[in-house]
Amino acid sequence: MPTKNRLSTLLLLLPGAGFIFLFLAAAIFMTVLQSLGFFSLTQESRFTFDYWRNLFDRQVIDSFLFSLKVGVGSSFGTLLFSYPLALFMRKKFFGRKPLGSMLKIPLFVPALVAAFLIINLIAYHGMLNHILMALGIIKEPLRMLRDKFGWVVLFIQIWKNLPFQLLIISASLETIQTDIEDAARNLGANKLALVRYIIFPLSIPGILVAVILVFIKTFGDFAITSVAGPIYPVSISVRMYAAANMFQEWNRAAGIGVVIIVTALLFVWLYSRLAKMMQGQK
Amino acid sequence: MEQKLVPYYRIVEKRQRTLRGIMVVFFIVVQIVWIGLPMLMAVFWSLVNPDHPWSYPQVFPSHLSLAQWDYVFKFTNIIRALGTSYSIAPLATIFTFLLALPTAYVLGRRRFQGREAIKILILLPIIMPGMVTALFLSRVFSFIGLDQNFFGLVLAHSLMGMPYMLRILTTSFEAIPQDIIDAAENLGATSFVKFKEIFIPMVLPGLFAGTIFTFITSLEEFSLTFVIGTPTFETIPTILFSFLGYHFIRTNAAVVSLILMIPNIAMLFVAERFLKTEYLAAAFGKM
Repeated sequence: MPTKNRLSTLLLLLPGAGFIFLFLAAAIFMTVLQSLGFFSLTQESRFTFDYWRNLFDRQVIDSFLFSLKVGVGSSFGTLLFSYPLALFMRKKFFGRKPLGSMLKIPLFVPALVAAFLIINLIAYHGMLNHILMALGIIKEPLRMLRDKFGWVVLFIQIWKNLPFQLLIISASLETIQTDIEDAARNLGANKLALVRYIIFPLSIPGILVAVILVFIKTFGDFAITSVAGPIYPVSISVRMYAAANMFQEWNRAAGIGVVIIVTALLFVWLYSRLAKMMQGQK
Repeated sequence: MEQKLVPYYRIVEKRQRTLRGIMVVFFIVVQIVWIGLPMLMAVFWSLVNPDHPWSYPQVFPSHLSLAQWDYVFKFTNIIRALGTSYSIAPLATIFTFLLALPTAYVLGRRRFQGREAIKILILLPIIMPGMVTALFLSRVFSFIGLDQNFFGLVLAHSLMGMPYMLRILTTSFEAIPQDIIDAAENLGATSFVKFKEIFIPMVLPGLFAGTIFTFITSLEEFSLTFVIGTPTFETIPTILFSFLGYHFIRTNAAVVSLILMIPNIAMLFVAERFLKTEYLAAAFGKM
């Protein structure tokens, strides 16, 4: 590429990519420096590993594990619903379009609203309790809000993220050529074998993206866990926010922030390794 | 004898059709429960009559009224929040578009070293957990005087919408066949004509999708607004958070939820004809 062209490429890249890079690099830089004792608000700023040494107490570890659980649980839990649904939606049938539109609705429902909608459903006198009682399964309404395990959080996350995964997986299923399917069918593959040996392996890249994006979103979630999650442990983002704004321990919060960033990046790296491995196999 | 007149594959076909019909009905029922029921509950909660509280064991409220709506509009900051939300969103969308256009063009049309890396870099606002970005960007902002500042909020919202706009526009630019551009060049089209006659019309659907997603991302944005904006600026999500958190008032939360949700869903259905949500899949299907 000629030099002039290279220069113009760089200049044209700057507004969009430069904007993101500038602010996020600044934020990451700030997080790392604060966790090492710089930019301290309450104490004297100096280089120290003290904050790191004291970072991993019971509370932080519990919160970290809780968020990890919510992240893995939501991403694979959503997949449990989205994949069969995506397979089903491949077929042409009457009412596919309105059904597709309906399914997309939660994509446009803000996370906090989703939390509120589901809270209403499972509250003490919510619809779920009424239905369970009408069916005679329980005698008395259950108190399900802010349960210790975080089922409610998982429920909300699955409700909210289902259409997103559905879109990505549907797109990856669409790229599978019908020739391959026809060939398999000619050779006598039944439906199960078709899904098991042809469709599933070919849709793994799409599944990987869908799972990783939902994992990142739910692992770092603040809003949903803080309104519907258990009292203890709180999610790692809530823990970080509390350290910064309730206890004014900004350096400690920065340490937690670094842990969150590193975890998210680690999973993205894992994803890219897996994606490369899949490509190598083909 | 008679049965043999119907070929076997017809019977299978018919059986399959019935099975699929049952499945469709089942899915539609599940959909109504899965999507419709939660929405219906929110609508009921927003219409509860304060003189006749809705409590266990009533399945539905016995009396309905608009008193809750009245209350929220009279005694909370919702009107100001609506103003803030709906002035940040268009500004952030325009700003995002202006910054994204040249970058998306280069990413979509030119091949250069490090292109793949940059395509991942622009996903950073999505990859970085929102609260981490929010907290430490707020530290950066307070150094340069953008904390508790309207322009700072517009910048922050643009940052969160940028990955959607960039990725979707890039995919649209990539999708333009080179032949058309070559043909236009052969026929003597200048850069300006190329842009006006080829790029703009062919990128328009993607631009539309990117705009909608950026707009909605801004309307929904919570973490950054919560840290950088409150208490000076309140948007609809931060008000909702306060109703769901410290002062949990279900009826108020219901009203605010509907205020936040209805325009979004309306946008989905109005835009459905032009906007293929598949753009999102195309843009994020490969990271």
